[in-house]
Amino acid sequence: MDNASLLRQSYKYGFHKPEKYVFKSKKGLDESTVREISWQKQEPVWMLKFRLDSLKVFQKKPLPQWGGDLTGIKFNEIYYYIKPTDKKVNNWQDLPEEIRDTYDRIGIPEAEKKFLGGVSAQYDSESVYNSIQKTLSKKGVIFLDMDSGLKKYPDLVREYFGKLIPPQDNKFAALNSSVWSGGSFVYVPKGVRVQLPLQAYFRINAANMGQFERTLIIAEEGSFVHYVEGCTAPVYSTDSLHSAVVEIFVKKGARVRYTTIQNWSQNVYNLVTKRMRVEEGATGEWIDGNLGSRLTMKYPSVYLMGKGARGEILSVAYAGQNQHQDAGGKALHFAPDTTSRITSKSVSCRGGRTSYRGLIQVFPSALHAKTKVVCDALLIDDASRSDTYPTMDIRHSDVQIEHEATVSKIGDEQLFYLMSRGLSQADAQALIVNGFIEPIVKELPLEYAVELNKLIQLEMQGSIG
Amino acid sequence: MKLEIKNLTASINGKKILDGISLHLEPGKIYALMGPNGSGKSTLAQILMGHPAFEVGGVGKKKPSVMLNGTQLLGLSPDKRSRLGLFLAFQNPVSLPGVNVSNLLRSAAHEANSSKNQTKSNFNPALNVISFNEILFRQAQNISINPELLRRSLNEDFSGGEKKKLEILQSVILSPKYAVFDEIDTGLDVDALKIVARQLMNLKKQGCGILLITHYLRILQFARPDHVYILVKGKIKEKGGFNLAGVVEKSGYRKWAS
Repeated sequence: MDNASLLRQSYKYGFHKPEKYVFKSKKGLDESTVREISWQKQEPVWMLKFRLDSLKVFQKKPLPQWGGDLTGIKFNEIYYYIKPTDKKVNNWQDLPEEIRDTYDRIGIPEAEKKFLGGVSAQYDSESVYNSIQKTLSKKGVIFLDMDSGLKKYPDLVREYFGKLIPPQDNKFAALNSSVWSGGSFVYVPKGVRVQLPLQAYFRINAANMGQFERTLIIAEEGSFVHYVEGCTAPVYSTDSLHSAVVEIFVKKGARVRYTTIQNWSQNVYNLVTKRMRVEEGATGEWIDGNLGSRLTMKYPSVYLMGKGARGEILSVAYAGQNQHQDAGGKALHFAPDTTSRITSKSVSCRGGRTSYRGLIQVFPSALHAKTKVVCDALLIDDASRSDTYPTMDIRHSDVQIEHEATVSKIGDEQLFYLMSRGLSQADAQALIVNGFIEPIVKELPLEYAVELNKLIQLEMQGSIG
Repeated sequence: MKLEIKNLTASINGKKILDGISLHLEPGKIYALMGPNGSGKSTLAQILMGHPAFEVGGVGKKKPSVMLNGTQLLGLSPDKRSRLGLFLAFQNPVSLPGVNVSNLLRSAAHEANSSKNQTKSNFNPALNVISFNEILFRQAQNISINPELLRRSLNEDFSGGEKKKLEILQSVILSPKYAVFDEIDTGLDVDALKIVARQLMNLKKQGCGILLITHYLRILQFARPDHVYILVKGKIKEKGGFNLAGVVEKSGYRKWAS
């Protein structure tokens, strides 16, 4: 199909009056839905074509047969594109009580609460956002939502978009590629060090929120940026499927840290593909916290492409009742002297299930590669479950590999000890759990760490009858 | 103001360990409890604190009772007992990965303050983290604890002596009404022993009633007990003064073995 006919078709499926109405695609996914989305966004033709190609891949690929149980996803019951204004819950009181309650108890400010709950689609932090934008743009840093990024920098986006995670990578990457909306676009020029963490989601940028967000970060040579997304409060979503794609390019000598804390409501399937390409002497770091959701499948990966590249993945997962956290990380060593470290901590409670799933791959070109995997699981009670699925594929012998895995249960003697000091059972458990995840939590920005600790405390109070 | 134990029998997996213990502890006094291995000393300590593993019963038709200033402790969870003013220094304290003693004691302080009816006088609600830590570090210095230990995971890779000192530190900070020290002297060198004994005497001076479980005369020379009890096979076989400890040191427990 040539460009002209693509354009004509996109009009055919389009609507009228692009400025002033609320748009919601019909349920289910087919070519017309994808065309509608692209038309709504007034995208360049190449993006429409990318979306349509991706749709075909999505339709062809079967559901993964490993990991969690995905059979509950009703693809035809989902709205694949809803304009943010249509996502409102009309009234604060309409939110599920446990969500309102948690917001209150974590102590989230009123305005943020309403945004998180979907009552307000726009968390009013424009002024903060604008002042940060001013500082950033002076240095040539771009920090936009992905839709605006595509509009303003189409060539830059085109050069990198879908290059690290092509639609063919997996079914959900293909899904995201065909219907993506929102997410962030970050570009850091050569040698620029961004001192403050860039925070997405409610704290600064409302447009990031979405079911199928797409994030692209490019850190040029010798630059540094720390990107933070998410929040510890449960994000209430009426949508049952969240499938994001995050692509990060870390150029020579640069360093990127990407921190995520997510706490989806319990109906959500959270299936995310995240990948970093790390070049010579560069460092890529994922800090990934997963709470909530019905099922999360997420394995942030580092592709160590250049000599001396370093990758680090810290993953912490908490699974409560009816939840399955299938999380971990992947490190692929393509170049000499590359190092990777994966640290995973998981907590299962009230029959929740956590799985560590990881891959270490060392190619013949990666001489003197070093890798270390540590995965620790903590079970709060006998009903809970934890599994480990490590895979190692090492193609030569000049490599240093360490792998440690432990599963422990909160000991009766630990509880007795703490309670003998005056701590209630819930607080004693929370102290043990927080102690267990402390090595990862200390890497989080302070406000997230505090909220996470409080949240664990609430969970533990809930876990005792 | 007293701790009164009556008709206390305890067993685990059907095996009787304590067989009708009755003890009366006054504030501001030290009670030494001595006895051969396996006589039930640690079990008594754990049951007083509320360890859930044991079955507690009475003697014949007489019900067991552990009263602290008129409140029945039996049936209460360990945290409630702690908040009523009871403390146990463990013989083998567990290690707590990621939890340092400052976290632990601040959580305990927070809890004590939030339970309105049973506040502990020594916790000032206005006390912030910084001043709390100042007190903690000062007290640690008194016991010659390396300040670095206060920041590390409690008891993880601590030496035997360090563990014991951290137990003493906690008793000083929590300032209990009654405290049980289960073999606090085991594994301590003579300098550490003197420091520990000095803290016990301080607690005594503040009016704390102390049950001191030990195998050795040595600590009793520095922290002189007002009464000495001999526990053998789950029964108090004899009580006496300080000289009774000397008899044990000299002749062992043979005379009570029958």
